[in-house]
Amino acid sequence: MKKALGWKIILILVVIGLSVWRFLEDKIVLGLDLRGGTHLVLEVQTGEGLIVQTDQHVTRLKSLFKDASIKYEKVTRKGVTGIEVSGFEFEDERNIKDIFDDDFREWNYTFSARLATMKLKPNEAMRWREQTVNQALEKIRNRIDATGLSEAKAQRIEGFSQKGDKLLVLLPGIDDPGRIKEIIKTTAMLEWKEVVSGPFDTEEEALSDYGGKLPEDLVVLKMNPKTGGRKGFMILKAANIVSGNDLRNAKRTRNEYGAPIIGFSLHPKGGRAFEKYTAANIGKRLAVVLDKRVLIDPVVQTVIPAHSGGVITGSYTTELVDDMVVMLRAGALPASMKFLEERTVGPSLGADSIRKGIYASSVGLLLVMAFMLLYYKAAGINSVVALALNIVILMGVLAYFRATLTVPGIAGIILTIGMAVDANVLIFERIKEELRAGKSPKSSIDSGFKKAFVTIFDANLTTIIAAIFLYQFGTGPIQGFAVTLMIGITASMFTAVFVSRVIFDLIYGDRKKLKKVSV
Amino acid sequence: MNIFKKEPNFKLMNKKYYAFIISGLVIIAGLVTFQFMDLNLGIDFSGGTMIEVSFKDNISINYLRDSLDKVGIANSEIVRVKRENKFFIKTMMEITETGETEEFDEHERKASLIREVFRTPEETENLKAGKIDLNNSTGIKITDFLTSRGISLDDAADSGKKIVDLRKNFEDKSGNLTGLISDFNEIEKLDLKKRVLSKLKENAFLGSLTFLSTEFVGPQVGHQLRGQAARATFFALIGMLIYIGFRFRPIYGIAAVITLFHDVVIVFSFILFLNIEVSLQVVAAILTIVGYSLNDTIVIFDRVRDNVKLMRKEGAEMILDRSINQTLSRTIVTSTTTLATVLALFFLGGEVIHNFSLTLIIGIIVGTYSSIFQSCAWLKIWEKKFLSRKKYK
Repeated sequence: MKKALGWKIILILVVIGLSVWRFLEDKIVLGLDLRGGTHLVLEVQTGEGLIVQTDQHVTRLKSLFKDASIKYEKVTRKGVTGIEVSGFEFEDERNIKDIFDDDFREWNYTFSARLATMKLKPNEAMRWREQTVNQALEKIRNRIDATGLSEAKAQRIEGFSQKGDKLLVLLPGIDDPGRIKEIIKTTAMLEWKEVVSGPFDTEEEALSDYGGKLPEDLVVLKMNPKTGGRKGFMILKAANIVSGNDLRNAKRTRNEYGAPIIGFSLHPKGGRAFEKYTAANIGKRLAVVLDKRVLIDPVVQTVIPAHSGGVITGSYTTELVDDMVVMLRAGALPASMKFLEERTVGPSLGADSIRKGIYASSVGLLLVMAFMLLYYKAAGINSVVALALNIVILMGVLAYFRATLTVPGIAGIILTIGMAVDANVLIFERIKEELRAGKSPKSSIDSGFKKAFVTIFDANLTTIIAAIFLYQFGTGPIQGFAVTLMIGITASMFTAVFVSRVIFDLIYGDRKKLKKVSV
Repeated sequence: MNIFKKEPNFKLMNKKYYAFIISGLVIIAGLVTFQFMDLNLGIDFSGGTMIEVSFKDNISINYLRDSLDKVGIANSEIVRVKRENKFFIKTMMEITETGETEEFDEHERKASLIREVFRTPEETENLKAGKIDLNNSTGIKITDFLTSRGISLDDAADSGKKIVDLRKNFEDKSGNLTGLISDFNEIEKLDLKKRVLSKLKENAFLGSLTFLSTEFVGPQVGHQLRGQAARATFFALIGMLIYIGFRFRPIYGIAAVITLFHDVVIVFSFILFLNIEVSLQVVAAILTIVGYSLNDTIVIFDRVRDNVKLMRKEGAEMILDRSINQTLSRTIVTSTTTLATVLALFFLGGEVIHNFSLTLIIGIIVGTYSSIFQSCAWLKIWEKKFLSRKKYK
């Protein structure tokens, strides 16, 4: 009996030691609502990404048809992940099927009178979608890293009843997120295109040469007056000469007047294409397009050799050039972003919440301790010790798991203080009952603990079940609450059942004949 | 100390219909209220913009409302933080066909309008003249500002940090954190380089308001969250039903879940009566109450299970009454300690957590009431089923 008690005491001391050590070592992570910062939720417009990929397949299909000299009227994208081929000769049907079977294995297809309909297989569409989201996340991470915000985090929001195309971006210490939001949101799709004509004042005017409708190989795009110095619309070739994918590097340099401009170099393949184009088109205009807006339309002065790279001039601020360089280096997003949520907490509100949280917890703790001492007298001391220990363990575990402490998390701690004594109350009330029933103090303690345990277990487990649902449902702050509640209640089972018992044994265990127990 | 000198002996089972009537009346009143007014949904669920502004001077809600009207932000709700010059300004957004990207722009536009409209003419002048507002600039901005005026980067960064720290911990006369530096003398008291101080005196001023927090939730998100909250509550209840059904027997699970559902409905009724704004936090509070109330109920049911075995000759009514009475002092003690902590949270925890703690207070009271007066009453209705002793052999 005595030996077992010794081990139990050692176990308790080890738990206390570990908790204090982890608490001092790991430090509790404060949530954005306590330390100040911005929380952003964005949705990747995966549909857009799918359309882009389907369009690429349309282009590929056309070139395969050309190679196989298959004549057709139209190849078009239908919906998001569908392609339709129409107006081909009946005898070509076999060849078309062969192309589908060899090069478009991820697609289901059907044929009916000179019309072929293709549809991307559902699991393949899923894979594309996944890819789009992961790529977007990767790019956003790169962009944030490049801005030098070391503590910023981007992650996918996953889980129970939440769609997987949402991203969470956490920016601690940022209470003016404007610039970062711009960096995240910009698709940064860079393209070099051949200029056909323009600029025109209005879109109608631009289109009037073509009777209001452009042929398929041309596009009309708006100019960005901030960078190019001119307003209006331009008609460009739809096909790119080179694009952001061909970019090897981008950096800020200065022009001869010292104004900031963007310098770039291209990968060998893109570089050669660019060299070939510039050699053939000296004196003609070229458009640099960022996110479907024409930045500038410089005249090609000389051949730009494949290895040398070039510059994008224009009137920019240093900050704008820096941000564009960050985005160009990280590469274009595979789809655009939609902001769903933004929550910004300034540093003083966070400081205020910490201060009030500590104040409220202390008062709550003192109230509960005072009540327990008053009501249960000597046994109250026991529960006060258990409660103090509970908080030590709670802090240690929070630190160990690097759980984030939030405003609702503090509320969870305070609530835990109130609920943690429940296990003690259950036990003490049982002991009282047993005493009332005329049992000896010692066996009253024994059966009090024993009988209360089942109840404590059942009752606490249901609270934990509620907390698990809460965790699944909530984001950031609410999860913080669920976590503290779960840890606190689990810890209370240990402190109130195990530790309290040891304390009782320590106090009363030695005495041969226990006359009275104070509860 | 004891609440009851000896084991109490309240006859609750023969009064169970009173309990049903009382709860029924509250629920009916809740439903009637619901016909005439909607739940006060926070932006988490309705979508919209919420901005907390702190002012240096005493300002009335009417002044704020008039100013907002002038710039066309008419549909806003303004709530003042008690005894402080802080206000929550909430504006709603409806789902439109234009999509949320534009709604987000709309939020940004509103936020900057609000910032503009409360600025004094003098401040606007200062800004036009290229001066910097130390109450509304991040540390980085202050640093940039100083370096561009010939201060070394180290000194500039140090000054920026000190000014932001001062702002962060600045108290008004009653000891509240305002997030605003009220007096330029305070900056002079900081240990700043003389050159920095003279640059600041020349080119900086202290704005009369600052944003403590801004929140934007897209209307579609709000809509989704509503569904999620309802589902989480529903599945939590189902989870409880399964657990209790498994640990006790199905009939106990059903009685407990009816009791919990009763709690949720009554708490919602009070949310309506008191016009509490329903936010994510309030939903979290409701789920917590579900857990808490069940805790109480299980303690009683546990005793019922024991007593069914022990009191073989007694009827259902006797067993249930006895079980409630035996656990009554525990129920009261635990509710007292929990309520004490939640009251501390309500009165001292600050505005951020106010609705959360208020909902918990209501919930703890309702949960305690229902465990005592409702849970066993529902068991009694299926008297024969729960009394069946075969399984407990």
